[in-house]
Amino acid sequence: MISVSGVTKAYRDGEVRRQVLRGVDLELAPGGTVAIVGPSGSGKSTLLNILGALDTADAGTVRIDGVDVSASRPAALAGFRNRSLGFVFQFHQLLPDFTAIENVIMPGRIAGRSAASLLADGLELLDQVGLRDRAADFPQQLSGGERQRVAICRALVLEPPVLLADEPTGNLDAASGEQVLELLAGLRRRRGTTMVLVTHNPEVARRCGSVLRLDGGRLTPA
Amino acid sequence: MGFVWHVALRYFRSTRADAHIRVLSSLTAGGLAVGTAALVLALAALSGFQNHLLTDLARHTPALQVELAGSGAGVPGEAAEEPAALVAWAAATNGVSAVQELLYARGWLAVGASVQQVEILGFEKAPPVWIPVGDRAARGLIVPIAVAQKLGLAVGETVRVFSPRPGLTPLGPRPRTRTLPVAGIYRSDRADYEELPVLLPLEEAAALFAGGDRRLDLTLEPEAEQELVAGFLRETVDPAKATVVGWREANRALLFVLRLEKSLVFSAVVLIVAVAAFALLASLSLVLSSKRSEVGALAAMGAPPARLQRIFLALGALLSVGGAGLGGALGAGVAAFLDRFRVISLPPDVYIVEYVPFLVRGSDVLIVVASTVVFTGAASLLSARRASRLDPVEAMRSART
Repeated sequence: MISVSGVTKAYRDGEVRRQVLRGVDLELAPGGTVAIVGPSGSGKSTLLNILGALDTADAGTVRIDGVDVSASRPAALAGFRNRSLGFVFQFHQLLPDFTAIENVIMPGRIAGRSAASLLADGLELLDQVGLRDRAADFPQQLSGGERQRVAICRALVLEPPVLLADEPTGNLDAASGEQVLELLAGLRRRRGTTMVLVTHNPEVARRCGSVLRLDGGRLTPA
Repeated sequence: MGFVWHVALRYFRSTRADAHIRVLSSLTAGGLAVGTAALVLALAALSGFQNHLLTDLARHTPALQVELAGSGAGVPGEAAEEPAALVAWAAATNGVSAVQELLYARGWLAVGASVQQVEILGFEKAPPVWIPVGDRAARGLIVPIAVAQKLGLAVGETVRVFSPRPGLTPLGPRPRTRTLPVAGIYRSDRADYEELPVLLPLEEAAALFAGGDRRLDLTLEPEAEQELVAGFLRETVDPAKATVVGWREANRALLFVLRLEKSLVFSAVVLIVAVAAFALLASLSLVLSSKRSEVGALAAMGAPPARLQRIFLALGALLSVGGAGLGGALGAGVAAFLDRFRVISLPPDVYIVEYVPFLVRGSDVLIVVASTVVFTGAASLLSARRASRLDPVEAMRSART
């Protein structure tokens, strides 16, 4: 399902060229879950962005669900991201001009579906994370944890085959974090969703099928 | 409502919330309103003036003129028989209700030691309808008031008329001249934009100015189409003998100047809209800066670049349509008011009309709307293209820095 081979990535920081990824390889079967751990600045988010077709690798190939995301055109990649990938960002990235439910169903609106056809699924997801009664609130009316839960619902609303999450429980208290983890586990059980999670949280890592460590630009079993 | 308009409308609403964006977008809408109102007013004033001028011109110019060739050759009697045949031919044409033969020449009027060069118009039957002669039954020399004042003439007094063409006598060539009484003096309601002619009955004029330019003025029946009649006449007349000219063709230079004037005024005033479009560009740039991370998030969720571009095009339309619509309505309303109540008066002895007339034409409004769309569309497109080219990762990172 996810096949990463020889991916390298470097950034130019002024005059200095900083090599973030040095030949990363990763194979993940459909329905598999992997946690990527590593020190801050080790390139975990960069790897996640490359997997999510938000960033491009300097070298190597990334194939997700048979699609070579490293060779696709921007418009095709946009459609692929919308149909096949769900993102949970480290910082929730909710749209402040839209209510919680509008944020949740936004990927469906981008896909061309009507709000009415998405509403029931969106409200059910909010219900699962205990936020149904906050559906009409705007992000600035929600706490940090509530915003992150809304962001997770948004990533799941189209039930994508692949979920990429960057610190999904990073801003949540223990109870909310547990709710989110249960939600993700349920999704994997019901839909066989493939998940790549970047985390510092040992509990999140423990619940994944495998744990990989990114350090020095290389991915190794933790 | 589709995704693009859903997001654009929400962003439009959010421009009301941010003080900086609110001020700038209000200035944009205000600028567009002023620009479109100024454009509509300027074009309405020009259209009003031109409409008056053209109506006046049409009233004072025959629908069709047939200029006779061979006239003006300076050979007395040469064209004497041709006009009669051509008058009969023109009068028999479908759609022509009347034909008047005219003769144009230049000559002099002399009273005592005073001499005045004048344009002579020889007329058949009665003075042409476009010459505002009070007593149309008057036969004889009829002079415009300006000439009468210069020579100190009054009705009944005599004046000598000189032709530049000499007459042959047994004693050799002698100036052609005739002493005639003044039968009438006329005052034109037209401004001094052309020299007014001295009128003479055709037979008198032909005797004095045999080589003058001959012309037939054709009056058309009300339902006759000028172009059709002109086309028929052109096809049937021998071009060596006569040339058919419509009133628009006869006034081609003036009509060209009027069109040019309108184009130049439009070009000057449309700059206001261009400046307002720059303000729109600034507004949209500010909106894009404040929404940068959100645009990045939308791209990450799968919004393709073309749809992100359309969001900002739609936002540009929302920001500009109100201002342009308000300005257009304001301009048209003010123009209608100024015209209806004749608010701006003009000195009647200087202009052909006593007030500034305004005429709002649908075509003018369409041109204003189209130019506004072009300018604001271009401004919106610049911002929209920037939005579509945002790197989603960089854009989302900007929210955290």
